[in-house]
Amino acid sequence: MPESLNKNRNIVMILSVLSILSLLAYQFIDVNMKFFDYAMSIRIPRIMGILIAGICIGTASIMFQSVINNRIVTPCLLGMNSLYILIQTIVFFVFGATSIIVLNENILFIVSLVIMGVTATAIYGYLFRKTNYNVLYVLLVGTVMATFFTSISNALMRVMDPNEYDSLQDSIISSFTQVDEANIAVSFVFIILIFIAFRKEIALLDVITLGKNQAINLGVDYDKVIMKILMSVTLLIAIATSMVGPISFLGLIIANISRQLFKTYKHTYLMAGSVLVGVIILFMGQIVIEHVFSYSTVISVFINLFGGIYFLYLIMKNKGVA
Amino acid sequence: MKIVNLLKQYGEKKVVDTVSFEFPKGKVTSMIGPNGAGKSTVLNIATRLIPRDGGQVLFEGKDIKDWKNKELSKKIAILTQSNNIQMKLTVRELVSFGRFPYSGNRLTKEDWEHVDSAIKYMELEEFENRFIDQLSGGQRQRAYIAMVIAQDTEYVFLDEPTNNLDIYHSSNMMQMARRLCDELGKTVVMVLHEINFASFYSDYICAFKDGKLHTFGTVEEVMNKKVLKELYNVDFEILNMNNKPLSVFY
Repeated sequence: MPESLNKNRNIVMILSVLSILSLLAYQFIDVNMKFFDYAMSIRIPRIMGILIAGICIGTASIMFQSVINNRIVTPCLLGMNSLYILIQTIVFFVFGATSIIVLNENILFIVSLVIMGVTATAIYGYLFRKTNYNVLYVLLVGTVMATFFTSISNALMRVMDPNEYDSLQDSIISSFTQVDEANIAVSFVFIILIFIAFRKEIALLDVITLGKNQAINLGVDYDKVIMKILMSVTLLIAIATSMVGPISFLGLIIANISRQLFKTYKHTYLMAGSVLVGVIILFMGQIVIEHVFSYSTVISVFINLFGGIYFLYLIMKNKGVA
Repeated sequence: MKIVNLLKQYGEKKVVDTVSFEFPKGKVTSMIGPNGAGKSTVLNIATRLIPRDGGQVLFEGKDIKDWKNKELSKKIAILTQSNNIQMKLTVRELVSFGRFPYSGNRLTKEDWEHVDSAIKYMELEEFENRFIDQLSGGQRQRAYIAMVIAQDTEYVFLDEPTNNLDIYHSSNMMQMARRLCDELGKTVVMVLHEINFASFYSDYICAFKDGKLHTFGTVEEVMNKKVLKELYNVDFEILNMNNKPLSVFY
């Protein structure tokens, strides 16, 4: 066992080095020395955005998969992405693209975050109690809600002023180029608070993966723990989504790569791996978008493209096992 | 452990109907009965895996509802049939989870001694670094039993432990249940389908029918033509083998 322990530690080390290298590459590649300070001031917030997205999506995806006991699910099933789009659409629809709420990134961020957090907690908390803590039932309702939210958004978009629709599109496509500095600190504070508040439940993830009966046998208050873990997943996804917009497939990719790299049940490794892989992919993707495609496309296009292919690969590979 | 007027219903149907009895301490008790008689349900309620609709489950004089889950997991261990793990987990790691109620994720030296002796007791040394999903059904079952031993509880509940096992592994499993009681002094309670296993390896038998407790008593009190016929609606012949009743049905 110590052998595999060392191997896992080494992989963490390698991934950390790679992510620091890609961070530095992103920060300093092709910098015009004349405008060094300006370039830095542009790039640092994006780096922070990538770190926040990596941490939130990386940890949330692993937690979510372990709770559901399925490797090909992503927290998108909880419908947070569509809820985010709905909130944005309503704000643009009601207040208009030039209102203070929309123009002030800070207010929009906080508003989205609070609404998503409160709605998700209320809906899922209620559903859990109503269905006697049936996770699958809650997920099913989640996907139905996602369709419901999307339909409302689409209906509103149809009757919207074309100009406002245009600026709305900008805001609901995920991108790291419009990360607002003031929101970075808030996000980090929220992330730290979530990890402190839910640290006990997160520590139980290893036991949770033994299945419901075994977890109860070993003295875990299963239902409550599951509910709290899903709660923290929702909140983390809410932060990532309000920060950089919906990135659907990223969680699926990074969680699975991490599970392939670390052949272990230990969530410390799985989550760390998932975060690091996520950060590396995002930095690399952003470098390609900025320097190869000169911003002519956004990162979510790539992520959805490769995520989709990877998803098919996973399904083919796991045929019958899933 | 004492069960008082236990009640469980799905909709109108009462799957467990006012069942009361006490598990004899330090003995092997088997629960038998036809499909849907409620034996597994009683076991699952007694071990807090599923909620109940009425009655009480008293453990050391206190309802299990009022016990802290963690404290209970140091006294009661339950092994169910469905154990599919998607994780890459070695035998040794699985067994070490048995110490979770005591030390959480950080096992002490003493915990590892428990783990080692459990692995040794189940003769799993040569497999201890193999992944669970690479084991055969019988080996996997032994790994789970080792985990239960590491958990070091007074009571061990086994839900159909011989399910999916061949004859050799089934009888091994039953001998192991006996050893848990005789050598380690545990109270063992099992749900069984093979009534001859129940007859040969247990001290007491608890027979269920239609959600009700039909007969509870020693092996001889339950393993007779009359009771078995009432339970299963099949004619039985009772033979005597090594002073134990052996049932043959046709």
